Amino acid sequence: METLSLLELNGRVKSTIQFEMPDSYWVQAEISSISPSGQGHCYLELVQKDATGRSFLAKAKANIWRGTWLKLKPYFEAQTGETLKVGMKVLLQVTVTFHEVYGYSLVVQDIDPTYTMGDMARRRKEILEQLTKDGVIGLNKELEIPDLPNRIAVISSATAAGWGDFRNQLDGNIYGFRFYVKLFPALMQGDDVERSVISALNAVADRRDDFDLVVIIRGGGAVSELSCFDSYNLAFNIANFPLPVITGIGHERDDTVADVVAHTKVKTPTAAAEFIINRVFDTATRLEDLTRRMGDAVQDRMNSENVRIERLSQKLPSLFALLKARQEQLLETVWIRSVNGVRNLLTAQTHKLEIVDKTLSAADPAVILKRGYSLTRAGGRVVKCASDLKRGDRLTTVFADGSVESEIV
Amino acid sequence: MKYEEAMKRLEEIVSRIEENKMDIDQISDALKEARELIRFCKDKLYKTDEEIKKILEAED
Repeated sequence: METLSLLELNGRVKSTIQFEMPDSYWVQAEISSISPSGQGHCYLELVQKDATGRSFLAKAKANIWRGTWLKLKPYFEAQTGETLKVGMKVLLQVTVTFHEVYGYSLVVQDIDPTYTMGDMARRRKEILEQLTKDGVIGLNKELEIPDLPNRIAVISSATAAGWGDFRNQLDGNIYGFRFYVKLFPALMQGDDVERSVISALNAVADRRDDFDLVVIIRGGGAVSELSCFDSYNLAFNIANFPLPVITGIGHERDDTVADVVAHTKVKTPTAAAEFIINRVFDTATRLEDLTRRMGDAVQDRMNSENVRIERLSQKLPSLFALLKARQEQLLETVWIRSVNGVRNLLTAQTHKLEIVDKTLSAADPAVILKRGYSLTRAGGRVVKCASDLKRGDRLTTVFADGSVESEIV
Repeated sequence: MKYEEAMKRLEEIVSRIEENKMDIDQISDALKEARELIRFCKDKLYKTDEEIKKILEAED
């Protein structure tokens, strides 16, 4: 019976593999562990899971040597916006090797980023479908951004450049608008993004009356690692949030799920600040318009009122002339009537006087004397009875034309 | 009062004057109110509200 040393056995395995599998192969797998080495290599562990995702159907080590890694890493990141990480589905071009000491492993030659992007897109689509099914996808968009959104809760990392950009942009707005900003710190990269951002959202929700809207921002950078924003739980929280949520998480590619459910999505923190400033600018413009309209309306009203008064005052002289004519006519009538009245009165009076005069004239002794009567006086008194006289009385008889003295004999 | 309400009221006053639904005696009161509303809104836009600052700076 032939016996082999372990080295001889491993050597045969090695040469069999080399002989039987000399080519390179494109293999689909999921990364279950990744660790860059100090020498610049990258060590991966690849797995294939069953349909439940809980147990492994296959497993293999894979190495990306320094020279390859230096090229693949920036290429992959530029294409996908992601770094290679655990849980990611990858399509790798590999050669199969066997080392007498280290055993079976794959050596990565190339990577196809489109496969990973396709997988991410598929996951994003699944999450969006679920959110639609759950009836929450459009909820945040239904909220209205107030006219003056100047109390802003910011969810970001305190050290992120994006947070500074956002503040500077707001504070430096050329119109002089005032903004009140409070940071709710959260991790914006790595595996804890979902948990961290949700807890920041909860902190804002506890004080929702203090704010007009929420902004989720982070700086760009070479690698955006957007897949952490393709999270059902995070999206669910954003969609249900009681204030409008604006995302500015720094990317140019497809929208993340968080972007889709947010009220408004912009590309960068600076753009988020611009969006808010423009909103306030619209409001300020409306106020200016109203102020101008108010002035115009009052001015117009005063003008038309002036025209009315002017017209009235132009009418006044003719009105006055008319009035004067009427008054004069009235006076005339009154005058004529008074004059007639006086005249009639006078006539009546004259007539009366004449009657009185006639009556009086008839009683005048002179008139009676003229008619042939005479008046007899004795001792200065008028003699009315013959018996009042006696012999020797001296009488004065008055005639119309004179008197004579006589003596009773 | 909230900014929204002030703007709404202002809009209402301006429209009523524009539509000639206000007589001259009412206009001077309306003008006074409008002036106050405009000032209120401008303050909200351009002046720091210490009250809001205090609320936001308060710890959670």
